[in-house]
Amino acid sequence: MADTPSNMPEDLPPQELSARLQQANRQLHQSEKMAAIGQLAAGVAHEINNPVGYVYSNLQTLEHYLSDLFRLTDAVERADSLEDLHQIRKSIDYEFLRGDLEDLLAESREGIERVKTIIAAMKDFTHTEEEEFRYADLHRGIETTLNVVNNELKYRAQVVRDFGDLPEIRCIISQLNQVIMNLLVNAAHAIENTGTITIRTRHEGDHVTLEFEDTGKGIDPADLSRIFDPFFTTKPVGKGTGLGLSLSFNIIEKHHGQITAASTPGQGTLFRIRLPIEQPGAVSDE
Amino acid sequence: MTHILLLDDEANILTALRRLLRDEGWQVDTFTDAESAIDALQSTAYSVIVSDYKMPVMDGVTFLQFARQRQPDAIRLMLSGHGDRQSMINAINRAEIYRFLSKPWEEYEIQAAIRSAVDLYQVTLENRQLLDQVKRQNDLLRQREEELLRLEHDNPGITRVRRDQDGSIVINDVL
Repeated sequence: MADTPSNMPEDLPPQELSARLQQANRQLHQSEKMAAIGQLAAGVAHEINNPVGYVYSNLQTLEHYLSDLFRLTDAVERADSLEDLHQIRKSIDYEFLRGDLEDLLAESREGIERVKTIIAAMKDFTHTEEEEFRYADLHRGIETTLNVVNNELKYRAQVVRDFGDLPEIRCIISQLNQVIMNLLVNAAHAIENTGTITIRTRHEGDHVTLEFEDTGKGIDPADLSRIFDPFFTTKPVGKGTGLGLSLSFNIIEKHHGQITAASTPGQGTLFRIRLPIEQPGAVSDE
Repeated sequence: MTHILLLDDEANILTALRRLLRDEGWQVDTFTDAESAIDALQSTAYSVIVSDYKMPVMDGVTFLQFARQRQPDAIRLMLSGHGDRQSMINAINRAEIYRFLSKPWEEYEIQAAIRSAVDLYQVTLENRQLLDQVKRQNDLLRQREEELLRLEHDNPGITRVRRDQDGSIVINDVL
């Protein structure tokens, strides 16, 4: 206890202290982001394994189909009579092959498209390089995030999009995506069997509002005032960091917005986010 | 006819699997939801049942447990993109599966696994038929023995009648 390190905060000037605090905050933010991504990675792996599974399998089938077809085309050179060719054509079940080849390719293409969408969404979602306020489309952010968390949601909840007309707002979209992800994953976890998650967006004057409403088990009134506190979680150890909502709160605050929650145990929870379209002090050029 | 049931909520997975099994000469029935697969269990006796792990409404373990109650002889396999330990433990302990196959798969893995499952099913079935046959024959034997005992009890000596080469009854007058 006595061996206090020489660089204890008390020894530092206020500017240095505040710089350190900021750095710690950034690190906390980053680690929560990594934790969230790690959690998602397992889900995303499953999402990708399905299309990769059948595309890979189809490629193996394609190899057999091609070797059958080559038997036929090679025979064109060597066959003694047309009869031989007909014989081969019949033996490889040419009609079936032709029809199935088209399906096989169409399905495989669909699979690769899906993998592409997932990868693009992951990239869109993280935007690690972006730390500046820019105009961004919140609906696109919501769709991207839905793509990333699809695996968490699809077996539990039906997602209802009640979208209004939204202008682009000045924000750090990767951070807002993270807030949206936290709310969606929480909503999915609150739903015990199956339920509905409604996403509502509205434009009101110089603000926009986003609402995330679930039909889950709700939040105990005693807990409701603490949900934005750091490290507060009701999830079992190892399941939640207790940082998701607290960082969401910080992010919204940084955007000069408000995030509030209302909940009825047994009926569900509603999170409302209000964000200004313009950031105070920002020059709206670009 | 060997019937195979495949269940996965992803239709493209089912067509890819069907392609791998095309040359085997089995009747392959595919389903994208557990409910219709359960309906099929009422009407068709399957040799092999393959199910995905993660599906909406009902997961693969629950479905296979159900299938096990309905058709205990059918060999159960699980196909999953989720390689985590808990799902494997559940599949083995609760659904008593024969093989755990992972996505993505190799052609030969699927073919070999389902082929050996079909073999196992047939051997099990054959075993049971042979056992039944042995039991039936044993029963017959026992009935005959009992009948002989009864006759001997009612008419002592009757089961020990001796005949000569022409089939005439040899009466031994030495009592």
